[in-house]
Amino acid sequence: MRRIGFLINPVAGMGGAVGLKGTDGNVEEARRRGALPEAQNRAKVTLALLARESGIMFVTCSGPMGEDALVKAGVQNYQILYHYRGDSSARNTRQAAMAFKNAGTDLIMFCGGDGTARDIFDAIGRDLPILGIPAGVKMYSAVFAIDPITAAELIRSDDEPVLRDSEIMDIDEEAYRAGQLKVRLYGIARTPGSEGKVQIHKQVFEERDEERAKMEISRFIHEIMIPDVLYVLGAGTTTEAIARDIGVNKTLLGVDAIKNGSTVATDMNEKTLWDLLRQEHEAKIIISPIGAQGFILGRGNQQISARIVRRVGCGNIIVVATPHKLRETPVLYVDSGDSVLDAEFGDTVLVVSGYQMAQRKRIYQNETIQRKVKSSGTHENPDRPVT
Amino acid sequence: MQTKILLDEDQIPKRWYNVQADLKTPLDPPLHPQTQKPIGPEDLSAIFPMDLIRQEVTTDRYIDIPEEVQEVFRLWRPSPLYRAFRLEKFLKTPAKIYYKWEGVSPAGSHKTNTSIPQAYYNMKAGIERIATETGAGQWGSAMSFATMLYDLECTVYMVRSSYTQKPYRKSMMHVWGAECIPSPSTRTNAGRAMLEKDPDTPGSLGMAISEAVEDAASRKNTNYALGSVLNHVCLHQTVIGLECREQLAMVDDYPDVVIGCVGGGSNFAGISFPFAGDKLSGKHKDVDIIGAEPASCPTLTKGLFTYDLADEAGYTPLLKMFTLGHDFVPPSMHAGGLRYHGDSPIVSRLVHDGVMRAVSYHQGEVFDAAQTFARTEGIIVAPETSHAVKSAIDEALACKKTGEDKTILFNCSGHGNFDMSAYDAYYEGKLVDYEYPDALIKEAISRIPKIS
Ligand SMILES: Cc1ncc(COP(=O)(O)O)c(C=O)c1O
Repeated sequence: MRRIGFLINPVAGMGGAVGLKGTDGNVEEARRRGALPEAQNRAKVTLALLARESGIMFVTCSGPMGEDALVKAGVQNYQILYHYRGDSSARNTRQAAMAFKNAGTDLIMFCGGDGTARDIFDAIGRDLPILGIPAGVKMYSAVFAIDPITAAELIRSDDEPVLRDSEIMDIDEEAYRAGQLKVRLYGIARTPGSEGKVQIHKQVFEERDEERAKMEISRFIHEIMIPDVLYVLGAGTTTEAIARDIGVNKTLLGVDAIKNGSTVATDMNEKTLWDLLRQEHEAKIIISPIGAQGFILGRGNQQISARIVRRVGCGNIIVVATPHKLRETPVLYVDSGDSVLDAEFGDTVLVVSGYQMAQRKRIYQNETIQRKVKSSGTHENPDRPVT
Repeated sequence: MQTKILLDEDQIPKRWYNVQADLKTPLDPPLHPQTQKPIGPEDLSAIFPMDLIRQEVTTDRYIDIPEEVQEVFRLWRPSPLYRAFRLEKFLKTPAKIYYKWEGVSPAGSHKTNTSIPQAYYNMKAGIERIATETGAGQWGSAMSFATMLYDLECTVYMVRSSYTQKPYRKSMMHVWGAECIPSPSTRTNAGRAMLEKDPDTPGSLGMAISEAVEDAASRKNTNYALGSVLNHVCLHQTVIGLECREQLAMVDDYPDVVIGCVGGGSNFAGISFPFAGDKLSGKHKDVDIIGAEPASCPTLTKGLFTYDLADEAGYTPLLKMFTLGHDFVPPSMHAGGLRYHGDSPIVSRLVHDGVMRAVSYHQGEVFDAAQTFARTEGIIVAPETSHAVKSAIDEALACKKTGEDKTILFNCSGHGNFDMSAYDAYYEGKLVDYEYPDALIKEAISRIPKIS
């Protein structure tokens, strides 16, 4: 019998329906504007599909944080592990997640947005896989299934799920309400991947496969590193694996720099990176797409700003990602904050995905901006990867 | 307006054409992997019959096709040449497109053009068993068919990723009485070493060749057979181009452009060598000869022209060819027959000398082309063949731009009836556009003091 921890952030998604850009710290205003709890309806779709699974035991929270939705969806096999009173808060989410983990749960499924994902990750980190049923206003984190039905399919399989790394993103709520998007990489959780529907041997193979792909990428990047060139490594587990292959430590969420096989700087901010680059005559940036949408720049790698990219040159960016990650992100995005620079990336980018192997991936481009850049012709970058 | 241009059975070519006779300077010789000295016929005699070794090195312009082989060829040769009226109309091109349809052979591709003579010469030399490898299964099934005809046993080492992806190719080999095992296997030293290094390896053509060569070299009654790359294989395939030249003459035409897809180079050699000969001799100086290869394994467009091993373990001679390195493991894409690190030394040489040229394509775009072809001409081609289709469509569209009415000839090397899972993946949007990161590798090679 598998134990699935289930919790809802009852107010997730409420803000969006009434034109707020998030619900955190805004519940009263959302209610005043007439918002109805949305998360429960979303969760019901997933739960109804799982209601008759005999191999699943849900552990959950009392009332709106879980039990209500399970009952409405007709789930009978559940147990309440966490009780609370009054309106729920982030603290309740963290405590419930902790209670699930202590009770030997296999996976936590939640319904909410980025804020909820962050709270759960705070409590349990990478100890348990996390799967999100999308219901929040903002869902930049990669822990969310595409929709509630897919979430059920990922859970339903009888076997151990295939796990993949998935970024948890932190959106600056204040800035967001003011119309600015500041997304930081908050952590890297584990999530069941879309391959989880195949039989067990294949899965074990697949899962080991992703680690293997990271090793292959690392071996290749290590081999093609040029002496006396500064390599700036962005956030994530793939760049971390590259550093490991070279024999240095790398901060998982930070931007570090390596030259001639040694660490030059760790966890740099934009300013320290800029200062470092000004002393270097040649540099390359190695980055991995981040988040549910697969952003190369702008979400999770903010330290690598537009002026940094210009200084290094578009042609000196090496994008790396495992085939597994690339399967989840059919199109990649660039949002450097400088739309002209974004357009210079062109329609496709080469992503190193193995030893001596890469994949040609489409980059989402806003057509209006592209046309403008093309007609002005001033920013053409000869180093740009050919399309 | 004639759609199918057909030759009679008595017009099956009686002789193969050997382009080595028309090369300005001889090919660089194969070298012994240990001594790095040119190899002699005796070095090859452990795994090949003398007739084939002779064909490998001869510079005679024509070589007779044995009666017994012609006899078997009658089962499907001469193969039809089609004028692709429907495709032309769909593309609205002024170009004339012809395609040679090799999918009519029992095994479904051009591969039988060489499996039959290879099995025949081995039988004549008293050999009882053949060990060979197969990538996508086309060659393995063609060889199984041929060995059955001449009463030889046959063991096929099939690249593991295809073995699981293409169960029906394996079934065909069984029907024709051959044994098919996934490679790397535990049967050979080479296979065991590779499994030890990496138990999860998807395998590669280079690995499977090592296994088959080792199998053959270690048994007296067994010889080895290769389905592409080698000179005698390319020679056998020239029946394709020789027939095409006759068929086009019947409608008073001669190609401006000749196209084939390139894995090891044999079907491309087959359709193009007779025309390359015309080009070399100055009879038709302007014919444009194009090899189409995958962007994930772009040997001719991105490889180095140098001596390299033909297999992974280092059993084979060093061949002077375009190569991505014998340890290069191409990704498991659907055109499994094009996953080879090297290329025919003759094709390589002709590309290097500018007699031919090469282009490369991504998976997604070749399946677009294959779909267009299936929806105009009806034939569902093999993923390998779709590269040639794509190139032909590109050339025809270029003619539309310039208004030229060129004659385009391409080789339709095989059908895709056992590759429907690849088409499914295409429709499910699951095809990955693999690409060899050429710029990164070349920059590293040029700037890092030593790179292996
Ligand atoms: C249908 C088809 N076309 C082409 C090829 C590529 O081989 P070659 O380059 O030797 O013709 C193969 C190899 O398996 C094949 O099956």
